[in-house]
Amino acid sequence: MGLETATYTDQEIYRRELERFFYSGHWCYVGLEAEVPKPGDFKRTAIGERSVIMTRAQDGEIHVVENVCAHRGMRFCRDEFGNKKDLICPYHQWNYDLKGNLIGVPFRRGIKQDGKVNGGMPADFKPEEHGLNKLKVAIRNGVVFASFDHEVEPLEEFLGPTILQYFDRLFDGRKLKILGYNKQRIPGNWKLMQENIKDPYHPGLLHTWFVTFGLWRADNKSELKMDEHFRHAAMISTRGGGGKADVTAGVTSFKEQMRLNDDRFLDVVVEPWWNGPTAVMMTLFPSVIIQQQVNSVSTRHIQPNGHDSFDFVWTHFGFEDDTPEMTQRRLRQANLFGPAGFVSADDGEVIEFSQEGFEQKPFHQTIAELGGRDCGHTDHMVTETLIRGMYNYWRQVMEK
Amino acid sequence: MNKTWIKLVPVTDVPSEDVIAVEANGHEIALYGIEGQVFASDNICTHGHARLCDGFLDGHEIECPLHQGKFDIRSGKALCEPLTEDLRTYPVKVEEGYVFIEV
Repeated sequence: MGLETATYTDQEIYRRELERFFYSGHWCYVGLEAEVPKPGDFKRTAIGERSVIMTRAQDGEIHVVENVCAHRGMRFCRDEFGNKKDLICPYHQWNYDLKGNLIGVPFRRGIKQDGKVNGGMPADFKPEEHGLNKLKVAIRNGVVFASFDHEVEPLEEFLGPTILQYFDRLFDGRKLKILGYNKQRIPGNWKLMQENIKDPYHPGLLHTWFVTFGLWRADNKSELKMDEHFRHAAMISTRGGGGKADVTAGVTSFKEQMRLNDDRFLDVVVEPWWNGPTAVMMTLFPSVIIQQQVNSVSTRHIQPNGHDSFDFVWTHFGFEDDTPEMTQRRLRQANLFGPAGFVSADDGEVIEFSQEGFEQKPFHQTIAELGGRDCGHTDHMVTETLIRGMYNYWRQVMEK
Repeated sequence: MNKTWIKLVPVTDVPSEDVIAVEANGHEIALYGIEGQVFASDNICTHGHARLCDGFLDGHEIECPLHQGKFDIRSGKALCEPLTEDLRTYPVKVEEGYVFIEV
């Protein structure tokens, strides 16, 4: 399979991707319920390039509204998190409830002066017709998704049974606890992030750290699975014993003599809910990656802001019933990830350098033929089947 | 706490079926004239810090000009969104042609 480089550099293609993947027909990640635990709590986030607000209304229900005032179109909410009784655009103080309904319009009935009333909105102005744009919301075991498309299929169907099984393995209904965030802006096309986590070829080669300390090896027991459309995927792997093995013997970066100064970092404790796999990386198309790498669990939110750039927001979490030791362990292991993570710093860089290559040679074709030219479930890591699957789906939706 | 009656304005200053603002001890008070009776409340809305005397009186309900929050001025009760807090009201008496409120 050859992939046109223009896929990553063309403005027209990028606009169409926003419309067809982020703004219609798909569920996009917005956050975790645990981020807005109390009535009045809100979080500002993004779907594609559109700013949205996730709120918890007074009745405890979660809502997602577009962060654009119905009046003069201003992106009014500037706080990332907060607790408010209502939403107010500062420009003219249009006032909305936490569900996005328009409640108050300043001087709607005009201003009294010398016994007469001046101005105001026309008598037939109906506030109920001028609320914020309300998105469709789906919540599964504490994870909140939203869609601008009210005709979108149910979330469970969108994910499909295969992916849903891995989703529910991690999000099994236990209450989540937010541990913290990493944020970075990566100067590359947003699809490169999806590809990166659909690419089991690179971890053992790019991430020398993984190989050196035995967290990932190409001969790990592994499985690659997709939904029926090939848009979502799960890379499932079970860690090998560590140390030198035949497969990695030829990799020059493998340095057996290297030791960690503080090896509490690799103090992995097997958790019952794993049911075997030590790492499951889920790519939910188009907006999020859900990670379990041993004891470190997180969501990684992809927020494109141009054909050649996206914001990448990592939410590290644990579970309310974690012991303090487990929380500490999850936090320590989170040092692998994020913009400066021992492993993930590499991904940010290669995505940037890929984009540089594409901009230089926009007529080029890249190759994704490892493991064959078709797409399907696979029980090893030496394949680019998931990348082919994603582009198979991409071409159908994009009509390219 | 000691309560005292404060003398405000001649009762003829209070408009009929409307509202005016007066000052009492550096504090703005809204006076409403409804069916020959006088009612008093704080003049500043509990929501958006707007002056209720610029609002619209409809029976015993005052509507804030800013965000259309409504209070019943007999009890101060907040009647609708976006209000979350009631309004303070004051006992009123009229003596020798003047309006008094008890604070």
